[in-house]
Amino acid sequence: MSILYDEGQQAIATESRRVLDARMDKSRLLKLLEQVGEHDQPFWDTAVEQGWTALAIPEEHGGLGLGLTELGLVAQACGAATSGAPFLTGSCGLAQALLQGSDAALAGVWLPKLAAGEVTGCVAFAEGSSALPPVSSVTFADGKLSGTKPAVPGGIKADLALVWADCAGEAALVVAELSGAARAAVNSYDNSRLYADLGFDAAPATLVALGEAARHLALDVLARMAVVTAHEQVGGAEALLHIARDYAVTRKAFGQPIGAFQSIKHRIAEMYGLVEVARANCIHAAAQEGSEEFLLAAADARISATEAYDTNARDCIQIHGGIGVTWELGLHLHMRRARSLAVESGNLLFWEDLLVNQLTGEKA
Amino acid sequence: MSELETYRAKARAFLESMAPKYGRDARSGNTVEQDLALGREYMAARHDAGFAGINWPVEMGGQGLTHLHKITFDGEEMQFGMPSHFFGISLGMPVPIVMHYCEDKEWVKERVRKALRGEEIWCQLFSEPSGGSDLAALRTKVEPDGNGWKMNGQKIWTSWAQYCDYGVIVTRSDPTVEKHKGLTYFWIDMKAKGVEVRPIKLAGGDSHVNEVFFDDVRVEDSQRLGAVGGGFGVALHTLMIERYIATDSGGFGPHLDEFVKTAQTTELNGKPAIEDGRIRAAIARNHAMRAGLDSITRRAFAMMMAGMQPGPEGSLQKLVAVRSRQKLSELAMDMKGADSLAFDEHAYVKTDWGTSWLNAPTGRIAGGSDEVLLNTIAEKVLGLPQDHRPDKGVPFNAIPG
Repeated sequence: MSILYDEGQQAIATESRRVLDARMDKSRLLKLLEQVGEHDQPFWDTAVEQGWTALAIPEEHGGLGLGLTELGLVAQACGAATSGAPFLTGSCGLAQALLQGSDAALAGVWLPKLAAGEVTGCVAFAEGSSALPPVSSVTFADGKLSGTKPAVPGGIKADLALVWADCAGEAALVVAELSGAARAAVNSYDNSRLYADLGFDAAPATLVALGEAARHLALDVLARMAVVTAHEQVGGAEALLHIARDYAVTRKAFGQPIGAFQSIKHRIAEMYGLVEVARANCIHAAAQEGSEEFLLAAADARISATEAYDTNARDCIQIHGGIGVTWELGLHLHMRRARSLAVESGNLLFWEDLLVNQLTGEKA
Repeated sequence: MSELETYRAKARAFLESMAPKYGRDARSGNTVEQDLALGREYMAARHDAGFAGINWPVEMGGQGLTHLHKITFDGEEMQFGMPSHFFGISLGMPVPIVMHYCEDKEWVKERVRKALRGEEIWCQLFSEPSGGSDLAALRTKVEPDGNGWKMNGQKIWTSWAQYCDYGVIVTRSDPTVEKHKGLTYFWIDMKAKGVEVRPIKLAGGDSHVNEVFFDDVRVEDSQRLGAVGGGFGVALHTLMIERYIATDSGGFGPHLDEFVKTAQTTELNGKPAIEDGRIRAAIARNHAMRAGLDSITRRAFAMMMAGMQPGPEGSLQKLVAVRSRQKLSELAMDMKGADSLAFDEHAYVKTDWGTSWLNAPTGRIAGGSDEVLLNTIAEKVLGLPQDHRPDKGVPFNAIPG
């Protein structure tokens, strides 16, 4: 696949950014920070209306049949706008598991609904510090799921979960409807991510992969989510670069724009470097979808994007001085999002280990 | 296979046939003089095989191919460690600029041929003790002298000047106007009366750079390239010629595979170092960074193939790659502990961590220091203001010392 965006892809990038610029509202997002269990409905309505939920789902399941490159470009626009809901990434992971999993009937039921945005998905793999625990504490037997998954992104409101579980000593990937699940909302520093501890008490669930196949599929799902998230991080990091640049050319101190001081201008040039390295990795990773190099490319994208977004959040605020730490200016929306995205979809430590394992040929 | 890939395969076949005689292993243990003699032989063979002046016009003795063909060849050649580095600057900047500005085409064609065959070498005399990053602060003076010019002053950091036959030089012809406006550009004969070259021994032990002194050196007006007072423009043109060159995300040091190999074969706390979290984090971070630079390069290449102008992100390559090579080299030495203390001054910079470390500072300064590169990105790409420049708008001879 080409690493140059074609006209259609460029149009997706421009249009998604234009729509979000017109409709997103910082004051709404700031309010959501202090409300547990709420997301930005206008954002999600926009995502559904624009067909973003259908982008990466095949046409025979009611989707648009595009791929990670297109979804990535939308995620980048969402990242720039500090999007108001976590469902694009979660639904992407769930949809892939349904597509590649063993239950075609299940895929036939849910994929059209996911594409239409009628239902939303979340992915419940992590436990504690482990993004994909060697043995999950959640068990699956006889079609029933039991146990608790902590702080699942989207968990408060998602309709459907993809769960990493243990089935009599073997890894299992299962899909569970969440209508009957116990959802304990987590009060977070980034509440529109809708984190919840999901409790299953012999809840009905359907197996999509078992054993080595489950581990393989789970890694592929995580890698896809990581690539989408990395695009979102690049969008956020780039927005911060522009905010910092604009401030540095207008704000004056000691008789000149602060951007004329090398301590400021070099910091901003470094922010640019981080964005471009991460962007290049994202473009490459999206184009590697389905190839043998995909996991490695996803790890590269994820590591560089996390570094770019965290650093740019830190430095953009520093460049602003006092005004940068005010609630009203809202740079902390990016700072909070940089951290929540860094931890979701496998943290930095997970991807660093996975990358080295890929290089040395050890099993992830 | 695309036409470029066919070309790459042809280049590779040629380089493989040359490697036993001229490659990295064949050169091992050579003195600089032996290496230069071998390099001249290699350049002649490369010229005979049709891989010289790849993107230069046929009528000037080149191959008439595209810039992409040249980058393709250079990228392949870089992997073999051929002794072509003596000729890199010569063919990269001075000879193309002479081709562009010099009016005596027959004379130029003879120079081009000899430079491509390694029989003659050209240097670039820009930096001075009073101006490296600040090129326009240079002081080497030319004055009218009959129907020509007389040159006095000093250049520094001139690569390979001790082996050069010719050079291109920027000089100050008028100190009464602003510093950028009073410069004039010439080619000079490095063997002319009054030119003295003194090698400078660098921290790594080698002496590839020089001081060059000019004492009443006679220069003909036919050696002038561009207008009187137009030297700064010609200098910028010179620096732009090599804008898109074959890059190395390893910062011209060892490949990351070398670090992984070292980590797999070195023991740390009773375990292979590759199992140590600090080592793993460094590998992962460096891999992600280098993969990003490689993707930028591939995208620039794809854009050029599509007839588009590559983006400004290419300017990150040297800045990001070399300074991270410096740190990675330090970590590799730490990992090896006492075993890293032995030093071989003839070791190859792309396979030896000690050599890579010791020569890394040169890489961060030569060809634009990190700070100048950051300024360029900030000002040209991001539109940030210039630094405070007290010499702006002031005649050169009125700038406070």
